[in-house]
Amino acid sequence: MDILIVEDARDQRFILSTFIRKLGYVAHEAEDGRQALSYIEANPQIPIVISDWVMPEMDGIELCQTIRGRDLGRYIYFVLLTGNQDNDAVVQGMSIGADDFLHKPINFRELEVRLKAGVRIIELERTLEERNKELAGAFKIIKQDLESAAKTQAELLVQPTTIDKVSFDWFFKPSKIIGGDMFGYFSLSDEHVAFYQLDVAGHGIPSALFSFSMNNLMGDNTGKTSLLRETIAEAPYYRILDPHEVLGCLNERFQTTVESMLYFTMVYGVIHTPTGKLSISHAGHPPAMWMKSDLGETDFVEGEGVPVGMVPGITYETKNLQLTKGDRLFLYSDGIVECENNQGDMFGQDKLKNLLKESQTLPMNDVIVSVQNQIEDWQGHGQFEDDVTYLIMEWQP
Amino acid sequence: MGYQSSQKGDATVVTVEESRLDASIAGGFKDFMMDLIDSGNAEFVIDISEISFMDSSGLGVIVAILKQLNGKGSVKLVGPQKAVSDLFDLTCMDRIFKIYATVDEALNNSQ
Repeated sequence: MDILIVEDARDQRFILSTFIRKLGYVAHEAEDGRQALSYIEANPQIPIVISDWVMPEMDGIELCQTIRGRDLGRYIYFVLLTGNQDNDAVVQGMSIGADDFLHKPINFRELEVRLKAGVRIIELERTLEERNKELAGAFKIIKQDLESAAKTQAELLVQPTTIDKVSFDWFFKPSKIIGGDMFGYFSLSDEHVAFYQLDVAGHGIPSALFSFSMNNLMGDNTGKTSLLRETIAEAPYYRILDPHEVLGCLNERFQTTVESMLYFTMVYGVIHTPTGKLSISHAGHPPAMWMKSDLGETDFVEGEGVPVGMVPGITYETKNLQLTKGDRLFLYSDGIVECENNQGDMFGQDKLKNLLKESQTLPMNDVIVSVQNQIEDWQGHGQFEDDVTYLIMEWQP
Repeated sequence: MGYQSSQKGDATVVTVEESRLDASIAGGFKDFMMDLIDSGNAEFVIDISEISFMDSSGLGVIVAILKQLNGKGSVKLVGPQKAVSDLFDLTCMDRIFKIYATVDEALNNSQ
C-alpha cells in the first residue's frame, strides 16, 4: 500500500520514509501541503497520508480540510503529527476530519500499529465502494427493465376510440413506474360492445405483471377460449355471457394464494349498441357513475361484490339498465376517491360525482382533463400514492 | 402501535393497534397472524376498531388469515369504523366474515 509523508524537515521525512519502507509499504514524499495535494491528485494509488502539522505554504490542518472538501473519488486516511501533548490539537484535528494522531517525537512501534488500523479502514472502504458500484449497476438494470415494462404497459392500453356508436376515452397514471390497474373495451358482436376496468391489490411489479395477464385474457373476446362468449348449437352459434357469469368464471380461475394475495376488484359491462341496453356487474370495484344526458344528473350504479380471486364459489349480480342517447358511464379505480390532500382528507366519491355533474356537457376529453386537474390540485404534488385510472364512455346512437 | 393477542377461552382475541392497515404494515400483520395460526390458534376475534383506513393490501391480509385456516377455524371481525365499514360493504365482506360491534358480542356468539 502507498503512503505519502508530508513533512518540511528533511531529516524527519527521511527517517519516516525509511521506517515505512521497512514495514513493507511504498513511501512517497512531499515538503508541504500544497505539494502533497497535487501529488495525491496525480497518484490515485495513495490512500494514506501522514502529515506534519506546522509547515510553510499549506499546513497539515488546511491540507486535511482541503482533502475532505474535494471529491478525489476515494477515501484518504489522514494521520496528523502533532508536536505538543495538547489535547486541543487533537480536538481541532478531529473536527476537521483527521482520522488519527501521532505525537512527536514519533514512537515507531506505535506508528506501526496505527498504520495497520489505517490499512484496515482503507480495505473496508474499498469493499464498500465495490459493493456500492455493484448495487448502482443492479439498480440501473432494474430501472431500465421497469421503464421498458412501463412502455409495454402503455402499449397494452387501447387508444381512445369509437366502437359501434360507443366512444371511449381515459386517464391512466401508475403510482410507481408501472401499475396494477388495467382496462379495455372491444366488440363482442356486431351489436355488442364490452368494457372492463380492474385494479389488482397492492401496486408495483407483482400487481402489474398480474394485470398484464388479465389484459391478455380479456383481449381474447371472440376466440373459442374466450371467457366472454360461449359457443352454442343454434345461430348465431355463440352466446354472450352475462357480466356476472364472466366475473364468476374469473373468480374460479384466479384463486389467490396466502403468499401472494393478488386478488382484484373489477367492473365489467356489455352495451347492446342498437338499443342502449346496458348490463353491468361489479366485484368490489367502486360503483360506476352514470351521467344521464336528459336529466343532467349523475348517479352511482350501485353494485357490491366480493373482489375476484379472494374466495371460491361467489355468485355475482348483473344490473340491467337502459341508456338514453348521449348517456355516459364513468369507471374509476379507488386511487381517485382515496387520493388524500395534505390534510389527510380523501377526495371522496361525492366530490367526484359533483365534478362529473358539472362537466356533463363538456366534450369527453375535457372531462378527462378536468378530473385530472381537480385531483392533482387536491393532492398537491403529482405523485399519487395509488394507481389512478378512469375510463369514460358515451353511447351516441 | 402493533398487535396484541390474548386468550379468551377457545378464542384468540387479536387487537390491531394501528390507525391504518395498508401496504406499509400489511406484511408485518400477516407474519404476526401466521405465527399465531402456526402455533395452533384457530378461533380468531380480531378487534379492528382502531383502524380508520384499510386498503386492498390490508383487506388481503384479513382474507389470507381465512385462507390459511382452510376451513379449520373462524375469523370474527370487531368494530369497523366508517371507512372500513364502507370498504366491507363494497366488497361484501359480510358474506365471508362475521362482523360484530364489540369483542364481548363476538365472544358470546358461538355462530
